[in-house]
Amino acid sequence: MRLRARLVALWRTLVRPSALDRDLDDELRAYVELVAEKKIAAGMNSDAARADARRDAGSLIRVKEEVRGVRAGHTIEAAAAEVRWAIRGLRRAPGFTAAAVATLALGIGANTAIFSVVRAMLLAPLPYRDSSRLVFVWSDMTAIGYPRAPLSAPELKDLRDRTSRFDGFGSIWSTSAALTGDGDPEQLRVGLVSTNFFALLGADAAVGRTFAADDESTDAPRAIVLSHALWQRRYGADPSLVGRAIRINGQTTTVVGVMPAEFRLLMPPDAAVPDDLQAFVLLNPQALTNGPRGQQFLRVVGRMKRGVTLDEARRDVDAVAAQISREFTSYGANGRRFTIVGLQEDDVREIRPVLLALFGGVGILLLLACVNVAGLLVARTAARTRETALRLSLGASRSRLLRQCLGEGLALASLGAAAGLATGWAGLRLLLALRPAPLHLLDAASIDGAVLAFTMATSVAWGVLFSLAPLVELLRADPMAALQRDGRRAAGSVHYRLRSALVIVQIALGVVLLVGAALMLRSFFAVQRVDPGFRADGITTFRIALPAQRYRTADAFNAFSRELQAALAALPGVTAVGALSHVPYDNVPNWGGPYLSQPGQPESTAVMADNRAVTPGLFETIGVHLVDGRFFTEDDDARRESVVIVDDQLARRSWPGQSAIGQRVASDPFSTGHPVVWSTVVGVVRHLRHRSALEDLGDQIYFSERQVQRNPMAYFVRGGDPAALPAAIRRTVASLDGELPIAEVRAFDEYVGAARASQRFASVLALTFAGVALTLAAVGVYGLVAYATARRRYEFGVRLALGAQPTHVRSAILREGAALATAGAAAGLVASTFAARVLASQLYGVTAGDVASYAAATLAMVAATLAASWLPARRATAISPIEALRAE
Amino acid sequence: MARTELLKGTLDLLILRTLELEPRHGLGVAERLEQITRGTFSVKAGSLFPALHRLEADGLIAGDWTTNEEGRRIKSYALTAAGRRRLAAEKKQWARIALAVAQVLGEA
Repeated sequence: MRLRARLVALWRTLVRPSALDRDLDDELRAYVELVAEKKIAAGMNSDAARADARRDAGSLIRVKEEVRGVRAGHTIEAAAAEVRWAIRGLRRAPGFTAAAVATLALGIGANTAIFSVVRAMLLAPLPYRDSSRLVFVWSDMTAIGYPRAPLSAPELKDLRDRTSRFDGFGSIWSTSAALTGDGDPEQLRVGLVSTNFFALLGADAAVGRTFAADDESTDAPRAIVLSHALWQRRYGADPSLVGRAIRINGQTTTVVGVMPAEFRLLMPPDAAVPDDLQAFVLLNPQALTNGPRGQQFLRVVGRMKRGVTLDEARRDVDAVAAQISREFTSYGANGRRFTIVGLQEDDVREIRPVLLALFGGVGILLLLACVNVAGLLVARTAARTRETALRLSLGASRSRLLRQCLGEGLALASLGAAAGLATGWAGLRLLLALRPAPLHLLDAASIDGAVLAFTMATSVAWGVLFSLAPLVELLRADPMAALQRDGRRAAGSVHYRLRSALVIVQIALGVVLLVGAALMLRSFFAVQRVDPGFRADGITTFRIALPAQRYRTADAFNAFSRELQAALAALPGVTAVGALSHVPYDNVPNWGGPYLSQPGQPESTAVMADNRAVTPGLFETIGVHLVDGRFFTEDDDARRESVVIVDDQLARRSWPGQSAIGQRVASDPFSTGHPVVWSTVVGVVRHLRHRSALEDLGDQIYFSERQVQRNPMAYFVRGGDPAALPAAIRRTVASLDGELPIAEVRAFDEYVGAARASQRFASVLALTFAGVALTLAAVGVYGLVAYATARRRYEFGVRLALGAQPTHVRSAILREGAALATAGAAAGLVASTFAARVLASQLYGVTAGDVASYAAATLAMVAATLAASWLPARRATAISPIEALRAE
Repeated sequence: MARTELLKGTLDLLILRTLELEPRHGLGVAERLEQITRGTFSVKAGSLFPALHRLEADGLIAGDWTTNEEGRRIKSYALTAAGRRRLAAEKKQWARIALAVAQVLGEA
């Protein structure tokens, strides 16, 4: 019964509050009139009786307040009323509301976007079973310049046999393979995995199965697992494909399974394992365990036993490295060292500090935004001091005013959160569109429940905080003083000083972010101007792999390559053609090996070099600088002894002060891990930055493709119509061999652009930050100066009335802005010199002390500050003095 | 005669008591209260109406709108069944407290 009564009352309170209020008015009016009638009946005259009755009843406003206070569901109703009241107030002040909401949208939006990235990359576990137990194993060859090198097959076996803290180790290596039959021939990016690789990750197939021990047997049919994307695109997601045979590199291979659509191969970015491999076949290291220990190509992932710590696992692996260093002389004096890193940690090794810095940065932005909104609210409250005082003296309680402040703050924060979510969503789209290729984890970023919760929590927390700011102003409000019209001048100076300090901090932080952005932008332009040692413009590339069954001999290889080069060169507009075993900046694993440059040099002192094979004409096609000697010709083939071209870095290191031409190097063209082939240097080229646009990495040895055949090869075609060329290339290849797949027909520029994507990404982020900070600081200055100007309107009115020139008044206001700008910029410049040092490692071609960047940042901020003070200055002098004086 | 401040919670009990015999409107409750306490307690609108509305929200009394001869809307309150039970319980409770207080004061 009671419960029902309460529910009915609650229903009335929440759904029909206005009807309840009307009833209450009637009830109280009736009460007062009945009291008055009694008094009249007792002989009072009617006016006096009414006045008396009203006095007896006390303040009806307060009575109503108290009655509302005891209603069922009062708290909810009151909160809703506050929010309604707040929204009405906000609608009446569209300028204020727009400024506050836009400010919050920037702050909250930036936080939402960056938090979703941080969550995807740093917080969310990798999508593998028990992923915290997965580690990546590197071979530490720091002594010869390769701190993170892959492992060889015998080493994988050692780890499997001799460690005790691991459930197992698996390996992967990537290559390409030709898929023929059932449509156009196609070149696939293929992962060569150990049998246990998927089981180790804890990844199951969506259809069929992953590899099993039976697949290893030599009489078992060759097995392949397809990616979901390939299965969908080429086979229309036909489930009956599993169990059927397809042709891979000309060999019958059975499809045993298809991976799920969401399966991603998340290996560290520098492991050179593409995240979008299209198929997986077995490469059983057991078959290679007797191979050379220097033939390092396996990317090894280990799974620690449950409860084993990273330190224990590390000691386990260190012990194995120490053992094999003692047992095998081929490691030389330095021995072998392994490092293991948590897989997730290693995936985000490079991006983690950047992300944390970004997260800190957006935190500061949000702080700036909230300072602004708090400032705007204080200014608004100050302007309403008289209204507030009037309501206080009419009996409104201070807790009611507190609730109204909270209501207004939360209404603003909710609007800001909504606008911020939209901004954050757009920001995230932008980030994803610009993502540099190695940041594959970024793709998982989305605005999901956790991000929403984060946004709501930050918004509510800040909403409460900044709605409390005006309370200081409210609580000191003395109704009497305020109503006596000069009250609002007394309280001002404290706020003004505090707010000035906050605005100066805003300007300073803005300058810091602007300096950072200027430095990043200059770096980006410097990177654009870098000469990588080749020219990428106007070149179309594609990759082609010759199946070993049909091209068994070196002569067959060379014949096809010569014919193709000649046919391509004959295409309209084409000026040069060549082929190279890698495209610069592609994601194919690097080829390299140790080399010797002195007769009798011990192998243990060998230095590593990147190995490439090139056809005659390649260097000319991509515009490589010849330093000494000559390029390759068609005569550099099997009829002659082995020749190489080296880069100037290798020449300087090996034969300082001498000509490299005619010198002999022992190198490793077949990646055996040992320098086994002696060749004569016939040319020296300027070092090609083919793996990093910004750094000179390893020494380089170029073999003649006619002597050392590599498969697949990438062809480079200069000239021709870029729109018509891909079709022409396909026709040309098909006319020579209709079964050959062509892969990755694209502009050479695309690879170069991708290599610079990180810098572009960083520049865009830095610029966005700086732009937001600049805007926020300008809004802050505007808010403060407008507030101060509004308070001094009376004073300005008097001055104008007494004959002061509007320009004088304006410049007085502008001077205030200039003072803020000067103080802020000075503090900002000092702070920037420290902050820029943190950035130094991200800079290229510009120093952390670059004067031009500092000057540009300061100018931009001072200009924005002055512009922000100009608006209130103009408004202050635009109204007539009489109006200003009367308004008081 | 000196007027006494109402003990907290006592007002609710007294209001229920005034409604025991018949429904009354707000002023009627106030007058009856003054009458049965012989002028010891007088209640102002600022305490009376919040108390009435609280009791109504608790389902102890029920408000009903009527129109008087002058066409004015009047809200009068009547005890509900729950209100009667509460009044009986409170009366018993109050009698015990009054007795206890009287004993303490008598012995002192």
